[in-house]
Amino acid sequence: MSLKEAAPQRRSSKEEEPQQRRISLWRRFTSSRMLLLMCLPAIAFFVIFNYAPMPGIWIAFTNFNYRDGIFGSPFVGFKNFEFLIKSGQLWLLTRNTVLYNLAFIVLGNILAITFAVMLNEIRLKYFKKITQSIMFLPYFISVVLVGVIAFNLLNYDNGALNGIIEGAGGEPIKVYSTPGAWPGIITLTHLWQSTGYGTIVYFAAIMGIDRVLFEAAAIDGATAWQRIRYVILPSLKPIFVILLLFALGGIMHGNFGLFWNLVGNNAALFQTTDIIETSVYRMVMSQNNFTTSTAVGLYQSIFGFAIVITANWIVRRMNPDYALF
Amino acid sequence: MARKYIKAGAALLALGLSATALAGCTGASDEETEGGDPTEITMLVLGDKPTNGRLEAMLDKLNERLVDQVNAKLDLFYVEWADWQTQYNLQLLSGDDNVDLITTATDWLFAWENAEKGAFLPLSEEMLQEHAPKTWAQVDGDGDWDLTKLDDGQIYFIPEDNFTQYTNHGFFYRGDWATEAGFENGDITKFEDFTKYFQWVKDNKPDAYPWDVAGDPSADLTGYLQGHTDGQTIQQVSAGNYYPFQTTAADPNTVTSWYMEGDELLAAAELAKQWNDIGVWREDALNYDGDTREELYAGLSGADQHHTQTFIGQIYDNLSKKQPGSDPKFFYWGQENGNVFKDIKTHGAMAVSAYSAHPEKALEVYDLLRNDEESYRLINYGIEGTDYIITDDGKLGFPEGYDSSTDSLGSNFWAGRMDELELDRVTDAPNKAEIYAGLDAVAEDYPYSTLLINKDAIDPTLAAMSGVFSQYIPQLAQGKFDDPAAAIAEMRQALKDAGYEDARASIQADLDAWSN
Repeated sequence: MSLKEAAPQRRSSKEEEPQQRRISLWRRFTSSRMLLLMCLPAIAFFVIFNYAPMPGIWIAFTNFNYRDGIFGSPFVGFKNFEFLIKSGQLWLLTRNTVLYNLAFIVLGNILAITFAVMLNEIRLKYFKKITQSIMFLPYFISVVLVGVIAFNLLNYDNGALNGIIEGAGGEPIKVYSTPGAWPGIITLTHLWQSTGYGTIVYFAAIMGIDRVLFEAAAIDGATAWQRIRYVILPSLKPIFVILLLFALGGIMHGNFGLFWNLVGNNAALFQTTDIIETSVYRMVMSQNNFTTSTAVGLYQSIFGFAIVITANWIVRRMNPDYALF
Repeated sequence: MARKYIKAGAALLALGLSATALAGCTGASDEETEGGDPTEITMLVLGDKPTNGRLEAMLDKLNERLVDQVNAKLDLFYVEWADWQTQYNLQLLSGDDNVDLITTATDWLFAWENAEKGAFLPLSEEMLQEHAPKTWAQVDGDGDWDLTKLDDGQIYFIPEDNFTQYTNHGFFYRGDWATEAGFENGDITKFEDFTKYFQWVKDNKPDAYPWDVAGDPSADLTGYLQGHTDGQTIQQVSAGNYYPFQTTAADPNTVTSWYMEGDELLAAAELAKQWNDIGVWREDALNYDGDTREELYAGLSGADQHHTQTFIGQIYDNLSKKQPGSDPKFFYWGQENGNVFKDIKTHGAMAVSAYSAHPEKALEVYDLLRNDEESYRLINYGIEGTDYIITDDGKLGFPEGYDSSTDSLGSNFWAGRMDELELDRVTDAPNKAEIYAGLDAVAEDYPYSTLLINKDAIDPTLAAMSGVFSQYIPQLAQGKFDDPAAAIAEMRQALKDAGYEDARASIQADLDAWSN
């Protein structure tokens, strides 16, 4: 068949296709309208709070004034990014932020998976529920309160820890002047707060595993450990990868509230506790300068974006099914 | 049935979202309502909004008067103390047209920056003469409008220029303990002598900290530097919470920094180290956030620090009542060498928002608050008989059972107080006149009130410098470095790397242009 002969045929099929597509799109829309309605708040949330303000990052490249607004203010190029480099802190801050987040991500996921698997093995329903609730509780405690609790436990003059040490005849320790102690304290506190939440996510994933697999494993005579090793863990892999990719995107964003409330303005600890957010907060909070803080936000986002793209690329190379996109 | 509810819920949600989105699009009406309903004027004030109902009662009464006189009503919008710097600037940044009058200041509330950025409405002479005639006449009579003009020659705010205040900080301490520590009449007259006082408190009052500190105590450094140099701080330039640039009395036209030059910073840091070793403050004071003033009142702290007004208006009365016989005393920074400045006249000021729908009416309200005795007393003192009384000798007193910690008005009108309408208070320190006379004898006018600094050129540097300061100063001020000399050398190098010299040169150029 020549091209000319084929042409009308192709046209006719083209004429039919949109009609069909329109109908099926409409049908698909109507058949899942409740689902779409349920998505609406989330879509609205992201449009209003994440996408709509996006052009605002232009402010990072301007010398902003109220009169001319974001897009009318004079363009200053990368001047607003200078202060991070000038303060000599960029490397230290990036290092601390990334290392803390890596510790949070790696240890957090390991702990969450371990606890989820353990919860799954518990047969006593009430015990399981109670354990779950107790683990989840710290997630709801305000970091302000966490900071106060930590200070009351750890402070030199009348902290509970030193009370115990002195009671036992030991020398009180100066926790708030010991930078080396804080990576451990902060990581532990973060894990204490977030493990319950992560556990629930993984536990839900375990609940979603097809029961047939467990039955088959039982028939094959798998021990509990083998069940975990060959059924549960491989089934958790996709959700682990997704959570990992999400977490990597925020690797330059620290848990500001936690750091600020635990360490505050204690300059003696900055070497090991200062992350981008806390440092920037200190540097610009009293400067009345929104452009510099926007610049830092942009730096964090671009860094996070690059990491997610890279990690996703690596995941896709290893197993395309697990990649986000 | 359930389906119906879900549908209704979804519809309501969608309506709510679109209403929220559209709310931003509605503009305020520009119509003036002369003769009609009273115009609502909102004034932005700093502070925690009181919850005891006194403020609302006062506003009801004040508004009756404002409606009668200018057909307007006043409401207050509070920027609360928690994270106030960020919140205040964000409020202005948002271009909120619900605020008409804005409390500002050139030394602590970014008046120049916000004026430059277009947050304030330029006030023409005619506008002020017509709508705030009494204010205009007084400020003009004192020749103070120049203090509020940008390069464009326009007036951007109204100064609180007719209210005497000395914001000199200093130590509040207990005369009874100082007497026991060996000071004649309990008077400490040298900064270093506090070592002896603190040591005595440490040795003799086991329950008390010699000086209970919460957070950054860098006041001890500035206090020492003020009393041991002739440095005068350029109040318009801050790097974070620190004011890095000074001139000297000997050379008022050269910008320098007591953090960068001279040996006094080292001497101050060494003294702080000595105090830290004594245990003057808690070991973890940087992380402590308790109310140390209450600790002073409770007899658990030997000292506190803040400015003259705080001593005269609060400390004396509270401490002497709560610790009878404590003989409250005040040692102000710069007392030894007379290095004291009067406050900048724009330490309080009032601006009209650039987004105000009723700027003229806002000025009329302000003119009354500032100059009409009855309105002035209402906004500043509250309702006579409930919030305050006038004693037989004409002083401002308080009714039976009044407790300032729970009953205070909290209107925080710090942008238009007037000496001639101010009343002495029964709670004022009895040696108020003596303290003022002492300050008056030595205090000089702040010389750089009209100096405009080009912040655009140095903002990134100031931000970087604030990063360095926040790393070193709190530790120097608390004596936490084993080797203060090495730490200071490091800090100076870091400040240089951050661009100190460029910033200094830029401010120097501004100063040169201003002085010529």
